Amino acid sequence: MIKMEPMIEVKGLTVRRGNADAIYNSTFSIEKGDYVGIVGPNGGGKTTLVLAMLGLLPKAEGSIKIMGQEIESFDQWDKVGYVSQFAINFDSQFPLTVRELVGLGRVNRRNMGRFRDKDDWMAVDEALHLMGIYDLANKRIGMLSGGQRQRAFVAKSLVSQPELLVLDEPVTGFDPVTQEKFFMQLANLNQKKGITILIVSHDLAAVFCRMSRVLCVNREVHSSVITEGTVPDEVLKRGYGEHFHFAFHQHQCQGVFIDEQF
Amino acid sequence: MSSFDVLDLPSLFQYQFLQMALVGGMLAAVVSAWIGLFLILRKESMLVDGVAHTAFGGVAVGLLIGIDPMLGAMAVSAAAVLGITYMRRKGLAQSDAAVAVMMAMGFSLGMIVISMANGFNVELFSYLFGSILTIDNTDLTVLIVLAVVIIGFMVFFYKEMLAITFDEDGARLQGIPVQAMTMAFNLLVAVTIALSIKVIGIILVVALMVLPGLTALQLKRSFKTTLIASTIFGVAAAILGIVLSVLFSVSTSGVIVFSAAGIFLFVAAYQRLA
Repeated sequence: MIKMEPMIEVKGLTVRRGNADAIYNSTFSIEKGDYVGIVGPNGGGKTTLVLAMLGLLPKAEGSIKIMGQEIESFDQWDKVGYVSQFAINFDSQFPLTVRELVGLGRVNRRNMGRFRDKDDWMAVDEALHLMGIYDLANKRIGMLSGGQRQRAFVAKSLVSQPELLVLDEPVTGFDPVTQEKFFMQLANLNQKKGITILIVSHDLAAVFCRMSRVLCVNREVHSSVITEGTVPDEVLKRGYGEHFHFAFHQHQCQGVFIDEQF
Repeated sequence: MSSFDVLDLPSLFQYQFLQMALVGGMLAAVVSAWIGLFLILRKESMLVDGVAHTAFGGVAVGLLIGIDPMLGAMAVSAAAVLGITYMRRKGLAQSDAAVAVMMAMGFSLGMIVISMANGFNVELFSYLFGSILTIDNTDLTVLIVLAVVIIGFMVFFYKEMLAITFDEDGARLQGIPVQAMTMAFNLLVAVTIALSIKVIGIILVVALMVLPGLTALQLKRSFKTTLIASTIFGVAAAILGIVLSVLFSVSTSGVIVFSAAGIFLFVAAYQRLA
């Protein structure tokens, strides 16, 4: 994978929630094409970090650059896809089909007041195919299972052909097989489409098996590139504490790839 | 107005007052159904009731100073919507409390104006309960112009309004100017209420805006189908209400609402039994 320039650069970032520093004086960068797992204990600041990086929470100090532009002046939001951890908790009576939901991903400031054309709907179909939910296109979103909902929202964020995709705890409540299929699809998107992916997850095995970088967040952010020689315990202790022990061996990853056809 | 024989129905449509009432009623029904569906999905149905009651003050002021009461209603409704939006944004009041405050202020204004000026109570009555059968050319022209503006906005910004209604934060991240769009939509709510007052009256305007959308939601279809169905149900209720009220010489707005409620009950029962 070619990594030439940073996708996100964070320097001396401090973010306050109430009177406390949820993220404190953190510096790291994420390169284009990275597949990043954001891990850390509950309340450690993972979602706060994501929201700040997307400009949805104000920063107290420091700087954030996306695609080389300061967050304050960043104007290429159509190149960023985001699925919140609460996305699937929508009103299930909302009259929206999967196709209509994914079609909303083609709405942005640049095409305001313009009718969506054939190209827009072709991009919708492609995103539905990519996430393996084309056969659900005309189903109401309220009728979908948790896993199907999550894939529909990822398809929505993919339809604008983003260069950066940010997913906050997308596999919560998934059974292990569905979870593996989901991570497999993300890995395909990362490798075949070159999309930089940031994913908040508590599944440490998936992070160390599949991803290229890990951000361990517990008020401070520790960034590590994952290689075959990476010892997860050394990385994770910086976020979870010295007492933390994660029983993991690289060979465990071999069993993870359960369905290459998916 | 004297009642007509059911057998005279075809000849009934030759009367100009009925033709104008039907055109005005259908236009108000289309606009109300579209705006109403978005309001239901935004969980803001009671905003309509609150702003409509606020408009009462505008109607009274309009009658007092001699301007078109619809313009008075529109101005006060728009001020109410802006006030509600301001109170919500500044954290002065929760959404329902902000609506309640504006409703009380507008209605109080109307009561004060009525007590100050005797003589237009009968006319005021027609705005409280609607008077579509007395609609004149000027009313109809204003209605057509406003309906074209509202329908134009909703057609051109259909996808943006749907995105905001479904997920406001997501829409903001996609670069849609959520605050400006919401403000524009709320002002259109005020205009819709003002133009619906002539058709159905202040007291029942909420029914014309909410019942068609609620009925369409029973079908559990796509958003586009729900919007089309909502329009059809609204127009059907308006036509039924106007024609039946002329045939049986009863309150037009009352029959429109009863027709809309009847359609809702029929569709809801059919969906559950089928």
